[in-house]
Amino acid sequence: MTKRFLTSTLALFAVLLASSPIWAARVGEAAPQFTATDTNGDVHKLSDYKGKFVVLEWSNRGCPYTQKHYNSGNMQQLQREWTARGVIWLTVISSAPGKQGYVTGPEENAYLTQVKAAPSAVLLDPTGALGHLYDAKTTPDIFIINPQGTLIYSGAIDDTPSTDVADVSKAKNYVSAALEEATSGKAVAVSTSRPYGCSVKYAD
Amino acid sequence: MSLRTWQKIALPLAMLIFVANARAQSESHARIELIAEQNTVAPGKPLWLGLLFRLDPGWHIYWQNPGDSGEPPKVQWQLPPGFAAGSILWPQPIRLGTGTVLDYGYEEQVLLMAPLKGTSPEHPTSLPGISADVKYIVCREMCIPGKAHLTLAPPADGNWSAWRSLFEQTRQQLPKSLPAGWKVSAESNKTSFVLSVRAGSQVRSASFFPLEPGQIDNSSPQGFASNRAGFTLTLKKSDQLLKPISTLKGLIVVGPGRAFEIAAHVVSR
Repeated sequence: MTKRFLTSTLALFAVLLASSPIWAARVGEAAPQFTATDTNGDVHKLSDYKGKFVVLEWSNRGCPYTQKHYNSGNMQQLQREWTARGVIWLTVISSAPGKQGYVTGPEENAYLTQVKAAPSAVLLDPTGALGHLYDAKTTPDIFIINPQGTLIYSGAIDDTPSTDVADVSKAKNYVSAALEEATSGKAVAVSTSRPYGCSVKYAD
Repeated sequence: MSLRTWQKIALPLAMLIFVANARAQSESHARIELIAEQNTVAPGKPLWLGLLFRLDPGWHIYWQNPGDSGEPPKVQWQLPPGFAAGSILWPQPIRLGTGTVLDYGYEEQVLLMAPLKGTSPEHPTSLPGISADVKYIVCREMCIPGKAHLTLAPPADGNWSAWRSLFEQTRQQLPKSLPAGWKVSAESNKTSFVLSVRAGSQVRSASFFPLEPGQIDNSSPQGFASNRAGFTLTLKKSDQLLKPISTLKGLIVVGPGRAFEIAAHVVSR
């Protein structure tokens, strides 16, 4: 069986899962399982990270809302802080080929160095299978999964929908709040919010 | 400078100029003007101000609830002492996008009206100095944030009637309260809200625009069914909705210029 056949079968399978309501990414329920490839060609399965907190961050470097959080250094700082505290941070790019934000692995690796980003890995999702599985709407859109595999947060990065870098320091960061609470054994106070940003540039 | 050196410079230079030019043009997909309905402030009446957005084909801005992505325009008014501006009145939006990301907004042209209220003069007075700082995001395949500082000035061609008719046309597109005799109610089941509307006349199609985010799944098809008394709309709940809601607020749109504001009490089943 060729690798390509395997990849497309997996993608199709993920799409089938996504269209089934049982597998919706709903806070309080089991996060949908996935298998995805990162910018270095390494394969990541959600089940690899059982026992750890996992953050999924949808990204598109051409989107002004994503740019707000990278130009201010906010996203890199969150990535650095939480990966240092044992959290797995997976950035996901679901832009389809030809659409804004689509990148190859080497292009993205160069960009990560340039902007000093520090996720655990960047998952490339040009078919949108992973994006649809979680029903990611915007860039950024954030999902947090606890060590038991339950989705504990879904929504915006913070409470200030804007493209203004100046708003970052004034905003209440939902991701930090949720991770602080969850890692100290507390319930997550704000567990959903409207994600804000550009639409994810899925294939038509 | 040798011809060869010149050739080496000229092409990149020309490309640079071309790119810079294209960028300056491509980044203004929205043209905005601050307009007023009248050239005077009349005793006891608000003066209507408007932000007139003219958008390039295919580009859009957003409604007060933008839906799955984007954000509505925001305005900060600078007014003379004694004046205050009321909230924007949002004309009926359209559904934008395909697939799993669906937004609510406007294409082509839209006038966002707001009333200027103030110390009521005894006699009509001329326009006070008014300006506005507007922040917005305009999107097509991609999104571009914009900012504008606008100052109210009489129409360049002196044609007030053109501005007045824009306000008149926009009033036709503003949501109205539910007609007399119409009634709405909503039922909540595990997956959906079923909005029942008792209508005074036959309705052939309808769509619901939620005022609050995170209540309904914006991109799911809305199940319309007409019945003797009116119609029902079945609205899939958002995956983000974790707690029951008591009221479903939004617009029901049954045709051009026929958008009604509703707040339906939700009963669980």
